[in-house]
Amino acid sequence: MDAKRNMAKEAQPREGETRQMEALGLESVIERAQGHDSEALGEIYHRYVRRVFGLCRYMLSSGEGAEDATSEVFLKLQRSIESYDGSIPFPRWLLRVAGSQCIDALRRQQRGLKVFVNVDDGAAVIEAASSEPSPLSAVISTQERAQVRDTIARLPENYRVPLVLRYYSELSYDEIAQELDLERNNVAALIFRAKQELRRRLSQRSK
Amino acid sequence: MECYSEQTCALAVDGELAADEARRLRDHLATCRRCRELLDALRAENRALSESLHELPAEAASPAGFSQLRRSWVWGDLAVLAAVLALGSIGSIWFDQLSIPAALEWFNPFSLSGRTNLLLSFLDNFARGGTAMLTNYAAVVGLLCLLLLLGGGALLLGQGRLRQPGLRLLIVLLALSLPSFALERRHSEFVTVAANETVDDTLVATGNAVRVEGVVNGDLLAFGQTVEVRGTVRGDLVSFAKRIVVSGTVEGHIYTCSQSLDLDGQLGHSIYGWVQSLRVDNRGRVGDGIVVGAGEVSLEGEVKRSVTIFTGNADVSGSIGRELTMAGGSLTLTNTARVGGNLSARVHQMKEVHIAEGATIAGKRDIQVQVRESQFTRPRFYFYQAVWLAAAMLLGWLGLVLVPGFFRAATEAVGSGWRSLGLGFGVLAGVPVAIVVAAITLVGIPLSLMLCASYLAAIYLAKIWVGAFLGRILLKPSGATKGDWLLGLLVGLLILTIVGFVPYLGGLVRLGMVCLGLGAFAWQLYRVSRPAMMT
Repeated sequence: MDAKRNMAKEAQPREGETRQMEALGLESVIERAQGHDSEALGEIYHRYVRRVFGLCRYMLSSGEGAEDATSEVFLKLQRSIESYDGSIPFPRWLLRVAGSQCIDALRRQQRGLKVFVNVDDGAAVIEAASSEPSPLSAVISTQERAQVRDTIARLPENYRVPLVLRYYSELSYDEIAQELDLERNNVAALIFRAKQELRRRLSQRSK
Repeated sequence: MECYSEQTCALAVDGELAADEARRLRDHLATCRRCRELLDALRAENRALSESLHELPAEAASPAGFSQLRRSWVWGDLAVLAAVLALGSIGSIWFDQLSIPAALEWFNPFSLSGRTNLLLSFLDNFARGGTAMLTNYAAVVGLLCLLLLLGGGALLLGQGRLRQPGLRLLIVLLALSLPSFALERRHSEFVTVAANETVDDTLVATGNAVRVEGVVNGDLLAFGQTVEVRGTVRGDLVSFAKRIVVSGTVEGHIYTCSQSLDLDGQLGHSIYGWVQSLRVDNRGRVGDGIVVGAGEVSLEGEVKRSVTIFTGNADVSGSIGRELTMAGGSLTLTNTARVGGNLSARVHQMKEVHIAEGATIAGKRDIQVQVRESQFTRPRFYFYQAVWLAAAMLLGWLGLVLVPGFFRAATEAVGSGWRSLGLGFGVLAGVPVAIVVAAITLVGIPLSLMLCASYLAAIYLAKIWVGAFLGRILLKPSGATKGDWLLGLLVGLLILTIVGFVPYLGGLVRLGMVCLGLGAFAWQLYRVSRPAMMT
């Protein structure tokens, strides 16, 4: 994969921005930030703070905790950005860093208890295709998206976190497994069960 | 061939199926309509899920981003401070340009140090039970208390909904004025809550030194030279003191007007106040934020949320969880400083900002140099002056039409010189005391508000009578028609307005004008009411 291209992905400067740093492409901003340019680091904060906060808000139960985690992500970024090698798009890398921060926070909240447990038997969820297509798409299309987000926010952490890492941070199953310290099969099973639970809850709400 | 399971199909749409199995699935799809439909549905589901999540929760969707997330409460709190300070500045504006010798500066109630000294000396006298010099200080204290009440009240009324910190402050201040409110009052040279003692009510403590080593389950309202919290206050700490030290725990907020505040203990929420020196020691921890106006600020400990300071000099070597917003003189961030959000500073010179290499700032650095442009260069200034002049003329004309005798007589009364000046000064200083005294009782609050409104109106009207008098003696009109009176008013107001902007002299002239006008007004009121009293 072209590392430079990845760096620049999703990095188009916003229209109407006149200030120099804001007009730079993400690639240049990252290069400068890796050289500890405070303006460049500030620019990265400006561009991504909302997305990072969004992830933290989904993953953590409190707004205050999400704000703490967001601040911590960008404080640590001052050093950790040196390790970004461009092998994956920067936003995805940043969200992965943010995901790790949130998972650490969740583990601290549980005081050492294992937050993300393996499902009882990954194979047990492999089931025959139902005769009808999955109902979730129909449910989502007819309901407010806010309701979907609200329902996701109320899912147990075991389901919510892998789901958010997959569909918000767009991490692969392997990456999620690595973050959560789980087997890949178990990540697949958790995401599958999370969607089933989401469908069930949304169906109940719509009745 | 048997259909694939839903989970296998889900893996396929997530792009997580092994290559050979994905190939077999594709072959199967060519012949199986049901599996094709399932895959399409799962794709749509993923898309909907992803789109729903990317819309972000409401609090993250603010266009200005994270930095705005907690702005609402910051603005609310700032409004409390601003209202208090703005109202305070109305009273002090005439004094700003006075040239007072340094040796007498302590006596100027409208300089920061002078005000604090006066206030603290008053509290000391009050605590000792003495009344000496009380009248000298009462106006200052009364005005401050009133401004706090009015500021909080205006905020609550103006916003339409109740902001928690503002509401709390108002409740606490109102609690002071309600004799029936469940308070425990302690007054002595040294007020101490011993280490093994627990006070269950709100405690009002006045004394030379107030020390809490035990537990206060309510709020602590402490007034004295020194206030020290070594134990625990479960509510808020409201304190007017020379020196405040919190080495224990305050679980609520701190509202203060003091010379120094040292925090090396734990504070559950925020600090709001006006202090000469604020220090959060490296062991100190503020659970929420800080909103203060201060001469010196030193933050060595941890502040969980945002810091908003208006200060002459700020040193930060500790940790601030969110934003740091500063306006004032100089700002220094040492190598150990951490700011978890944006840094915004408004300073007079760029060289007054020192940010060490090792300081960590998560967000943007927005440092702006504010150049003070002379107001005389702006057309807007002249426009407003013209509007003010026109408004004063209109008011003078209305007064002359509606109550001609009173207005003319008040104008004449200005001519009595020293009598008006002395009487006016007394009214200027004395009425705030009366307002506060009236406000202390619940039934007196409407009266105090009316008195306050009349007081402010009279201060405004003062310039009309003085202006009219000045114009009359300058023009020496032969007749006494309305036109003459109004012409005199115009000339007088023009002169007063122009002279009012002369450095140093202007402030003195404005003060004299207010005293003369108030004195004439008071004298005329007295004359009008005397026959009524006699009957």
